[in-house]
Amino acid sequence: MSRQPFPDLARIDAFDKVQGKTKYSSDVPFPDLLHAMTVPATIGKGMVTSIDVEHALAVPGVVRVLTPHDTPPPPPGPQGSPPPPPMLVHAIAYRGQPVALVVAETLEAAIEGAEAVRVSYALEPFAVRFEDADAGREDTESPTFGDADAAFATATTRIEAIYTTTANHHNPMELLSTTAVWAGGRLTIYEGTQGSNGLKNTVAQLLQIDRSMVDVISPQIGGGFGQRGEVPRHTAVVAQAARLLRRPVKLVMPRNQIFHNSRFRPHVQHAIKLGADANGKMISAHYDCLQQNSRRGRYRSDWYHAGPCKVYGIENYRGTSGDLRLDTHGPAQMRAPYEHPSAFAFESAVDELAFALGRDPVEFRLAHDTKIDASTGKRLTSRHLNECLTRGAEQFGWTGRPVQPGTLKAADGTMAGWGVGAGVYQAAMHPAIATLRVSANGVTRYASAGHEMGQGMRTAIAQVLIAGLRIDPARLTILIGDTTVAPQHSTAGSWGTASSVPVAVAAAEKMTAALAELLDGRKVAGNMHEQLARLRRPFIEIEVSMVAPGQGPEHLERLKTGGMAIAGLHGTYPDFTALSYIAHFVEVHVEPHTRRIRVPRVVSVADCGRVISPRTARSQVQGGVVWALGAALREISETDPRYGGWLNADIAEYHVSVNADIGKIDVSFIDEPDFDANSAGVKGIGEIAMVGAAAALANGVFHATGRRLRTLPIRVEHLI
Amino acid sequence: MTDSPECAAGGIAVTRRVVLGAGASAVAGPALLKGHHVHAQPVPTPSGIENPLLLSFTVNGSSLELDIDARASLLDVLRERLGLTGTKKGCDHGQCGACTVHIDGRTRLSCLTLAAKMNGRQLTTIEGLSDGDTLHPMQTAFVDHDALQCGYCTPGQIMSAVACVRQGYASSPESIRDFMSGNICRCGAYVGIVAAVAAANSSEG
Ligand code: FES
Ligand code: FES
Repeated sequence: MSRQPFPDLARIDAFDKVQGKTKYSSDVPFPDLLHAMTVPATIGKGMVTSIDVEHALAVPGVVRVLTPHDTPPPPPGPQGSPPPPPMLVHAIAYRGQPVALVVAETLEAAIEGAEAVRVSYALEPFAVRFEDADAGREDTESPTFGDADAAFATATTRIEAIYTTTANHHNPMELLSTTAVWAGGRLTIYEGTQGSNGLKNTVAQLLQIDRSMVDVISPQIGGGFGQRGEVPRHTAVVAQAARLLRRPVKLVMPRNQIFHNSRFRPHVQHAIKLGADANGKMISAHYDCLQQNSRRGRYRSDWYHAGPCKVYGIENYRGTSGDLRLDTHGPAQMRAPYEHPSAFAFESAVDELAFALGRDPVEFRLAHDTKIDASTGKRLTSRHLNECLTRGAEQFGWTGRPVQPGTLKAADGTMAGWGVGAGVYQAAMHPAIATLRVSANGVTRYASAGHEMGQGMRTAIAQVLIAGLRIDPARLTILIGDTTVAPQHSTAGSWGTASSVPVAVAAAEKMTAALAELLDGRKVAGNMHEQLARLRRPFIEIEVSMVAPGQGPEHLERLKTGGMAIAGLHGTYPDFTALSYIAHFVEVHVEPHTRRIRVPRVVSVADCGRVISPRTARSQVQGGVVWALGAALREISETDPRYGGWLNADIAEYHVSVNADIGKIDVSFIDEPDFDANSAGVKGIGEIAMVGAAAALANGVFHATGRRLRTLPIRVEHLI
Repeated sequence: MTDSPECAAGGIAVTRRVVLGAGASAVAGPALLKGHHVHAQPVPTPSGIENPLLLSFTVNGSSLELDIDARASLLDVLRERLGLTGTKKGCDHGQCGACTVHIDGRTRLSCLTLAAKMNGRQLTTIEGLSDGDTLHPMQTAFVDHDALQCGYCTPGQIMSAVACVRQGYASSPESIRDFMSGNICRCGAYVGIVAAVAAANSSEG
C-alpha cells in the first residue's frame, strides 16, 4: 500500500442520501405488511397480574395482541453464556418494558389498539436514582500497579476531587425498528443494527430455530453510537408475531419507549487523587469509579481505567470500581463509553494538578510523554499524543495564554477561557472474510463484514478498492451489514475501519494477482473490466480472509458462527499496546450576566493511524466534538423517582446539541500509519473523536471564571 | 430553481392521465391516482381503515387521490401509503425536523400535519427536489461539504436549507445556524450543514 495521503473523495453514499433514496430498515416496503405497536409497562417494577386485550381487539384493523403467553421463555444458553433477553414476560424490571404487542392492518389501528390494552400490575418497591440505591456497592477488581499509596505519601503536590458524569441516551435520529418477514421457511429481519450477526444468533435462539434459517439485513443505519450494539428486546417479539400471523410485521418504536428500552450511558461518580513529585512529575494516581447498573446488568465498572492507567505513564496506580444496582434497563456502550466519562474526570484532575503546580496544562501534558503502557509494561506502538498537543496548540494560538483564570476577555466583555483535554482509545480489530468479484460488464461487487451507520465505512472500503484496482468506481457495490453476503461481526469500539480496510486491501492485491495470472504476460488494453471482456472471461472472483495480530484460525471460526472475535481490547495485543490519541482545544465564552456558555471554536488534532477517508474521518471528529459539547453542556437523562424510568424521555426534554450551539470545529490528523496494529496502519477514529473534549470545555470554563465544575452537564445555574 | 411546489416534479413533463380501474370510494383497492406521478409508489389501501377519507392533493407535481385513515399524519401517509420514504420519522412529535416537507411552498413538519388537512394542497418532498439525476444545488452542496453522516436527518435538513436560502436567512453563518436549529443532526454534521447552506446561497446569489 502506498504511503501517499488518500484523496478527499466524496462520501460514496452521499448522492443517494441527499435524495432520500437510501433505504433504512423501516423504509423497505412489503406487500401485505402489518404494523405493530408495543404496550409499555407503566410501573417502575412488579408483576403483570392481567392483560385485558378485549378492547384492543375490538379496534377495527387490529388483528392480534401478543402477550407473554405468545412468546416462549428463553431456552438455556450454552454452558457459561448468559441467556438472551426474554421476549414478553410478566415480571416487570423497569418502567417502559414491553408488556404486549398489538398488530394491526394500519399503523393508526396499531397505535389505538396499544392504547386500548388494559394491564393490571402488582407493584413492588423500586429505586432509580443513584442516591436512592437500596443495596450496597458491588466491587470489581480493577487495574492496580506500583504502590500508589506510598507514592502519594511522598508527593509534594496533590489534588483530590470527585467528579460526576450523568446518565445519557444515544438518541440516533433513526428510531429503533424491526421488520420481520417469513418466506419459504426462512426468517429475514430488517433492522438497523450494529451487530447483524449477534441479532441473527439471538433471534434464532429465542425462537428456537436454527441460526441458518435467519437472515439479518442492516445495510444502512440512521446513527448507531452503540445503541444498536445489542439485540433489543422487541426484535424477537416482532419476529414471533410475523411467524404467528404469516405476514410481514413492522414495528417502529416511539422515541419515548426507546428511552426506557434502549441501553444508555450510566451515571458515574469518579473519585480521583493525583500526586506529583518535586519535579512536577505525576507519580501517583488513585481512581475510583462507581457506576449505576441494573439489577442483573453486566456492563463492567472496571473499564473506566482503560485510558487513565495508560495515557501518561504514571507508574503507581490504584484503580477501584463498583456498581450500584437500580431498577432501569441495563446500561451499555454509548460512544466512547468508558473513555468519555473517565477522560472528563481524569483530564479535569490533570488540569487541577497542573494549575496547583503553576504549570501550563499543555506543557504539563507534553512532559508526560511515554513509550510504555505502564499498566502492562508493553510497548506503545505509536504514541503521537505530543504531536497532537503541539500541533493543536499552534493551530489554536495557545501561546501567551495567561495561567491565571478570569483574565481573558472577549471584545464584548464576555469572560473567555481556553481549555485543553486529551484522550486515548483502543486500536482494536476483528477478523474478516471478504469476497471480491470484478466482472467484464463493468460491475464490481465487494462483500465483507461491517455496518454503515454514517461513520463512512463504505467510503473507506471504496477508497482502497479504487486505489488498488483499475475498476469503474461508479459501478462498485459494497455489501456490508448483511448476513447473507458475508460473515458479519459487530461494528463498535472504533474497530470498523481497522477491520474492514486491511482485508479490502488484501482483496484488491489478490484480484490484481489473479488477473495478472490470467493475462500471463500478455498486454491487454483497458481497465480490468475491459481486459476481462477482451479475454472473454465474464468475471474473476476471489476470497480473502484476515485475522488481527495474535489471532488464529479459531477466531475466523468464531467470526463464521457470529461470535465476538476482537483483538486489541483496551489496545492490548500479545506484544504491544496500540491506541489512538487526540488533543482538543476549546474556547469558552461565559456571558457575564446570564452565565450562558458558548463555544465559538474548537481545534482537535487526532492520531488515528493512517487516514483512509479524509472527508468522513473529519466529519467523524466534528461529530465527536459535537457529542462532547452536548454531554458537557446539555445532556442528562433524568430518572423519575415517583413512577420509575426516565423522566425527560423525548428530544424536546433531552437536549442534544442543535446547529446554533455549534461554532467552528477545526480538525486535523497526524496521519502516521501504525503497521503494528494492522497492515493498513489504521487505528480508529469514531470514539477517540469525543474523548477528552468535555474536559477541555470544563477546563476552559475554569480558565474563564475560576470556577471548577466537576459535574456534567455544566449549566447556567452552576455558574451563578 | 426547481424547488417551488408548482414545478416540484423537477421539470419532468407530467403526462396527465386518469388511472382507471378503481372507484373513488374503494377502500380495499389501490390508491386512485390522477396523473402520472413521478415518485409516489402507492401501496393498496389496507383493510381496516376506520373513517376513511378521500384525500386529493398534489405530491411533487403530480395530483393524487387516495383513501386515508382520518387519524393518519401526513408523514405516515407519505411513508406507509405512498412509498415516499425519503421523509423521515425521528420523533413523531415535532421535535427533530426529520420529517420536514414543503406545503404550498412553506416548510412544515409532516408528523404534526394531519393528512386530512392536505386536500387541495401542493406538497414537495425530498424526492421532488432533484430533476431526475440532476441534483438541486442544495443537494449538491450537501454532498460537497459532507453535510451528513448517517443521512437520516438529511432530507429534512435539505428541505429546511432550501427554505433558509429562499427566505433570505442564509446571509451569515449565525443566521443559518439559527434558521437550521429546528433540524437536529445527532451525527453532528452541523459544520458541514452551515458550509453547504452558505455555499448554495452564494452559488444562487
Ligand atoms: S418526525 Fe416530525 S419533527 Fe421529528
Ligand atoms: S446525518 Fe445522521 S443525524 Fe444527521
